[in-house]
Amino acid sequence: MTRLLQFAAGLAFAAVATLPATVHATDSTDVIDYRKNVMKSLSAASAGLNAILQGKAPAENLVLQAETLRIIATTALIAFEPNVEGGDSKPEVWAKWADFSAKMKAFEAGTADLAKAAKEGGVAAAQGKVQAALTCKGCHDVYRVPKK
Amino acid sequence: MTRFVKFIGGFAVAAALVLPMTAQADDKDVIDYRENVMKTLEAQTASLGMIASTQVPPDNLVQHTEAIALMAKAAKKSFEAKVLGGEAKPEVWANNADFTKKMDDFVAKTDILAKSAKTGGVPVVMEQMVDALTCKGCHDVYRNKK
Repeated sequence: MTRLLQFAAGLAFAAVATLPATVHATDSTDVIDYRKNVMKSLSAASAGLNAILQGKAPAENLVLQAETLRIIATTALIAFEPNVEGGDSKPEVWAKWADFSAKMKAFEAGTADLAKAAKEGGVAAAQGKVQAALTCKGCHDVYRVPKK
Repeated sequence: MTRFVKFIGGFAVAAALVLPMTAQADDKDVIDYRENVMKTLEAQTASLGMIASTQVPPDNLVQHTEAIALMAKAAKKSFEAKVLGGEAKPEVWANNADFTKKMDDFVAKTDILAKSAKTGGVPVVMEQMVDALTCKGCHDVYRNKK
């Protein structure tokens, strides 16, 4: 019995020792921090794009900026998949997951459309797509805790 | 003469109406834009770091490296206008050859990192990211201390 206990303890130790290399996202803080990073970069990338469209930043960066936004938009839904409440997210994100994920997918499609327009038609074409693409407020009004 | 003045006046009004579309960036705009680019880079780098340290799943690995590579290019451009202020030290423009070289290096290495992420996944990114994300090397010299 003692030997069995020693074996079990050894096995448990080995499992813990190898855990950091294989475990993912078990910590709620990590999940929340990660999605905050994604949303922060979306916010900054959108502001950068708007500055270009308003003639306040170099138009040479238009495609880079629109493409960055498109790419980051594709990471947002995954960041919200773990049902971890907290941060700026309302519980409704997970309570109304079908609606939330439909909105996120529409955001992905809209930013893809915007990036394509920027590549093919420059600032003028992107200006025609930006309002339909950046529907941030539509989601934030429902799913984000209002900022104080 | 009056007709000429009216013509000029009308022209000025028309120009003012068109202006917002073609407005030149003022100094604050230049600083705000480069700060937005750096914020995007910072948050994307933090996200990539969380994947590398296995705090979150690696599903978005390629996207983060691609966003970083694109924003590295945007960053270089965003510092071309010589506008002092924000967190940038005057040395950015006083030592511009060195600054530009460091930026070129950052652009080249993050481009390689994005390609590696696609073909080699997390292990290759982990090998290359320390060499590619040399943020501190530049910040220590060219950014005002927070």
